[in-house]
This record gives sequence, C-alpha cells and structure tokens, in this order.
Amino acid sequence: MPMAPKYRFALQTFSALSIAAAIALLGAIYTGAYDVTATHQHTRPVHWALDTAMRQAVRLRAKGVKVPVLDDPALAQRGFVHYRGSCLQCHGAPGVAPEPFARGLMPLPNSLAQTALEWTSAELYWVTRSGLKMTGMPAWEFRYPDEDLWAIVAFVKLLPKLTAADYAAMDRGSSEKSTSRWTGDLPTAGDARRGAIALQQYACTSCHRIPGMVGAAAHVGPPLEGIASRKYLAGRLPNTPENMIRWIREPKNISPATLMPDLDVTEHHARDIAAYLATLK
Amino acid sequence: MLLTALAALAAVTMCGCADREPLRPAPGDPAAGRVAIQRLQCGACHAIPGVTGARGQVGPPLDAYGRRVYIAGKLPQDPALLARWIADAPSLAPGTAMPKIEMTAAEARDMVAYLYRLR
Repeated sequence: MPMAPKYRFALQTFSALSIAAAIALLGAIYTGAYDVTATHQHTRPVHWALDTAMRQAVRLRAKGVKVPVLDDPALAQRGFVHYRGSCLQCHGAPGVAPEPFARGLMPLPNSLAQTALEWTSAELYWVTRSGLKMTGMPAWEFRYPDEDLWAIVAFVKLLPKLTAADYAAMDRGSSEKSTSRWTGDLPTAGDARRGAIALQQYACTSCHRIPGMVGAAAHVGPPLEGIASRKYLAGRLPNTPENMIRWIREPKNISPATLMPDLDVTEHHARDIAAYLATLK
Repeated sequence: MLLTALAALAAVTMCGCADREPLRPAPGDPAAGRVAIQRLQCGACHAIPGVTGARGQVGPPLDAYGRRVYIAGKLPQDPALLARWIADAPSLAPGTAMPKIEMTAAEARDMVAYLYRLR
C-alpha cells in the first residue's frame, strides 16, 4: 500500500534522527568523550536515567519480600554490630564520617539516616542483599545469612532516631566483631544456577575467563572453557567432583606456591560452583 | 541497514586485535615455534590456537597465552622462565603432571615467541 507523502516524510525524518543518535552514541563511546572519572559528576540526564532506573527496579523487586518483625532491640543491636563491621566505612553513621576512601566514590554512598526514612524495610533488605551495579554497593547475600541481613535493616531503620551521642554510646558499649561469613544449610547436591552467581560473588571472574560470564576477559589464571573435560586441576590433581570442591576451597593446601588465594568459599557455595563448572564440557 | 553497518563497524573496532605486537617482547621465531609445538606434540595435552590437531584437555588451553599473567598459576610471566617451564616443568613445580621434554634451547625459545603472540 503506498504511503501518504506526509507519513513518508515523518518516517524518513524519524529514521534519519535515529541514525544520527546512534552515531552520536557510538561516537561518545569510541572517542572517549564521556568523562568516566570519579571527580566529575554525571551529567543531569545520565544521573536521572541511572537513579530512576535503580529506584524503580528496587521498588519492583522488593514488592514480594515478606518483612519479619523488626522492632526488637536485640535484633537492632545485632544489626549495629554488622553495620559497624561492613556499612560504616562507606555510609558513615550519626556523627561519624565515612572513611577517606569512600569519600572518593562516585556516586557517593548515601547517608542511610535519610534512606531509612524514604525507603521501605523490604527495599532496604533487597538492596543490602543484592547490591547495586556501578555504585560500589556490594551484594551481602553471600556474606550474611538472611537473619543478619534483616538485623542490619532493623538497625538502619533506627538510624534517623539516633543522636551522635546515642551512636557513640552504642559504639563504646560493644566490642563484638561482625563475622561476615555465610552459614547456610548444606544442600545435598550443587546447583549450577546458584553456582553461576557464586562465581561472581567469590570474584572467580576477576582472574578466570569463564563461559557464560560477561566481564572483562581475565587472563590472570587459566581460562575455564572445557574445565569439565580437563584431566587435571592445578596441573596435578585428578579432576573429580570432590577434588574440584577441595581445590576451590583450599588451593594453598593442594599447591602451596599457587597464586590462587583462599577465598573462604563455604562448602555449600563450592558445591554450587563445582556444579556450574561441571557443565563446561 | 545503516544501523547494521554501524554495528558491524563497532564490532570490527572492538575486535581489531589480530596480529598485534606481543605484550612481552620475546626472542625467538614464532613460525619455528609453531613447528616445534607440532613436532613435540604439545597439543596432546593442550588446546593451542593455530596448531592443527592441538585440542588436548589434560592441561589448560593456551589461547590468548600472550595475555596470561602467570606461568602455571605460580610464577610471573617471563620468556626465559617460560622456556625453562616448557622444557622442564618438574624442575619448577615438583609434582606437576607436565613432564620434562627433550628439546633444544632454540626450540623452547621459539615456542615462547609463538605463545606470546597468541592474544
């Protein structure tokens, strides 16, 4: 069907503009024109786009989260210990500044006294558990069990009510250390889908190129393509499922000179990682 | 159509990595190194790009070896050290599954030159 000249003109204009926009975008990427340094702010449109996408995504995903009872002083106290151990460095606390390194981050970590007022408990839990891409906010899912994540939320919800003196008193009142180590139940078999997440959460991809993982091509350790068919691990250990789990958990015990560090991988997570690697035939 | 062309151009720019200079200069002749790799059957244990039939899965694959930071996950990459590793791995890592292999010093050096060109 022939198109009316008016519509054809509109269509052509739209196409031309789209192509121009695509060229401009690719140009911005390849010429290095966009300032990626942490000393320069995002432009307003870029900040709006990133911030809105983040806020909306958190709202959407936190919808199904069931919030347990949080107004329990013992729970908040446990949350305080974890907050001081893992959150204070970047977010600060009432009367306490973030560490110098954290002041160099872009975007700057929020003061959570404000976030606690504006976000729901479910949203705070979701972000603490899952982290946020490109912000420096890590996921804590693989570091703290669920009850501890809720304890952190319970304490964060308390932040807007604390004076500097209140916080200082809490700090003086407890010398307990936060142990950020996952202690979940041990499942009988590894789960490859969880393993794919664990591979990132134990930083495997910062040294190894692993099929199915998007990221910078790392060549610090050997690539893991076909690792399931490999005869030896670390050049010396027969590649059996049990040896794979052992190697992931205690490389230095198997090969003292190896540059692969011990990463405190729990047995649960090592099983999941091994299950994923077993799919790489 | 034009968008496809642009995407193709982008892809070419991103992957225009063929035949770049190696990250580490190494003495030796890469072409002769490939012949030596072939003759000494390195491909029985290692997958090596550009070497016919080199699809072994006993040891790790050697693709992009020129970007590999360490030798055997233990030693900082260095041409002389890698040549020694290739000829006599057990002398550097007792217990390794990689055997000592009879070869000339020139062959080991040429193989290093070949491997360092793999990007």
